[in-house]
Amino acid sequence: MIEQNLDELEEKSIYIMREAKERFGNIAALWSMGKDSTVMLALARKAFMGKVPFPVIHIDNGIDFPETYEFREKLAKQWKLDLIVQKSDIKPEISGYACCGANKTVALKKIMRERGFDALIVSIRRDEHGIRGKERYISPRTKDFKWKYKDQPAELWNDYSSKQSNGGHIRVHPLLDWNEIDIWNYIKREKVPINSLYFARDGTRYRSLGCTHCTVPIKSNADSVDKIINELKNTKVEERSGRQQDKETAYIMEKLRALGYM
Amino acid sequence: MQIQQITMLGHKDHGKSTLIGSLLISTGAATEERIEDAKNTSKKLGRQFEPAYILDAFSEEREGGLTIDTARAQIKYKGKAFELIDVPGHEELIKNMLSGASYASTAVLVVSAAKDEGIRPQTKRHLFLAKMLGIRHFIVAVNKMDAVDYSQNDYEMIKNDIAAYLDGIGVHSQSVNFVPISAYKSENIISKSQNMHWYRGKPLMELLLTCHTKNSAAKMPLRAIIQGTLETESGVAYTAKVLSGTIETGSSIRILPIDKRATVKRLYVKGREARSAKADENIAINISQDMGNMRGAVISSTNMTKAANAISTMLFFVKPVSGNVEIRFNGNGTDARISLDKVIDTVTGRPKNTQRPKALDAAECIIRLGKKVAVEEFSSFRDLGRFVVYSSGKFAGIGVVEKVLG
Repeated sequence: MIEQNLDELEEKSIYIMREAKERFGNIAALWSMGKDSTVMLALARKAFMGKVPFPVIHIDNGIDFPETYEFREKLAKQWKLDLIVQKSDIKPEISGYACCGANKTVALKKIMRERGFDALIVSIRRDEHGIRGKERYISPRTKDFKWKYKDQPAELWNDYSSKQSNGGHIRVHPLLDWNEIDIWNYIKREKVPINSLYFARDGTRYRSLGCTHCTVPIKSNADSVDKIINELKNTKVEERSGRQQDKETAYIMEKLRALGYM
Repeated sequence: MQIQQITMLGHKDHGKSTLIGSLLISTGAATEERIEDAKNTSKKLGRQFEPAYILDAFSEEREGGLTIDTARAQIKYKGKAFELIDVPGHEELIKNMLSGASYASTAVLVVSAAKDEGIRPQTKRHLFLAKMLGIRHFIVAVNKMDAVDYSQNDYEMIKNDIAAYLDGIGVHSQSVNFVPISAYKSENIISKSQNMHWYRGKPLMELLLTCHTKNSAAKMPLRAIIQGTLETESGVAYTAKVLSGTIETGSSIRILPIDKRATVKRLYVKGREARSAKADENIAINISQDMGNMRGAVISSTNMTKAANAISTMLFFVKPVSGNVEIRFNGNGTDARISLDKVIDTVTGRPKNTQRPKALDAAECIIRLGKKVAVEEFSSFRDLGRFVVYSSGKFAGIGVVEKVLG
């Protein structure tokens, strides 16, 4: 995995977040308490004079890990976040793709409508998945949250001027250029507080975090940021290998994203 | 680690995605899971193993055997890092090609030597666009050499034709490397092919190693583009991105297009007060006087940057437009009126005998802007000399400033 220049990545992300804040009237961010969206908040604090100037949304299906809730409360207080917890249903008979698709997306639609958000910051990265590798920095979604991926807007030369239309919203992807290892190098350099589930206990750790039903840990003894960075330097395994929802059928990520999943 | 961005160019089906897939596998950058996924997809579709599926992730791309949208992947080779940008080779998808290729400093043109393929419209048009995008280094990879029994004659014919086209559009073909390859069989990619002893040059990856360029923006005069405003403890500050040079607290700055001076009272970088900031950094500044909304204005210490409402440009049309359009410099739109001078066929590189450009033509144009804008010639400073064109709210093309008229 290639380690990129953190200053360059940081400046790109700051530019995109400032551009979004400048251009959209009512912006929010998704925060899963995972490493990527937490780094995004750290970057927002750099972009906006130490404050996160937009609400952060946790789509809470009630079955996240206890450590995740604990981390949410702690950081929300420490960084004075305007936290919105939007409950999502969880039906025991539905799992994986259907669960995230049916439940979390419904909850997101509800809060977006209620609060009238016109842009949503989502901390996806290109290297996570082939489908995410096809995203734009500023990406319009339709009124029903659909991603028209076969006809994405042109995006070049610092022109991120895609607009929302017909009741749709804009997805903002400030972390698109970051690699997984860059996230960890940044956490190390900036001492970004991080969810304890990423660190190994009894020979396993979570490399990618979802909810308790669909996430499995990987074998690892990396119990510090340094050890995680070392582990990633040599890995040949995909980051999301522990995420059940990615694997059920072919093109699942495409379906999820086309439906507006984050 | 410094990463060199390289775009693939070329007509559809000539092997751009296959080449990237093949490079990802042979440099060890592709994870086993993605290779396995590409293998399974190939099998399911009843095809030979297709490395292109590593980047062509959409179902429509895999089933249809085409790249719809641009994607990127990174590789490391002999201590250097590269980001390979894949782009679609269909003419209907040229907006996606531009979106991907615009990030690159080097281009690899992939042209198939196979029978019935050879030099096609996008082979040349992509070169024209790459030159317009400001790409500095070109490599031409003549692909599918295995399909023509590694014929040196077929290779030379393609090479000569492309060299002539490059010279015609102003890219000195003597400085362009040509290499015969088979992306699918990994020949002349990492190591020299045993089937093409007549080729005396280096394999593709070795040629790429010589294309590393350094960013020299820090040593140039100050240029910064104002993005908007931000609340700071000392009042409202302007946010800006430094494009070149450095900016310092206490210094006097010139702001265009209003052409007024102000003093930098306070400067913030990454949320902290700082003495100075350099190229590439995003800043917030308190200045000696409030100048209202300045989004899109430019701070510049060089008289190369001008406030202008008439520019001579080269345009490329994704769809035909004439008359009134909107042009956007760094995301800031201005109404504009185009007067066509000369229409250019991007496949031949030569002027066309018409005053009505069609989609995918280029044209020399005079543009009159509805208001003054801070601009510079593309050849002197790219970030201020290029723009995108919108017509009735739709992306219509791109343009570069050849001369500032006034």
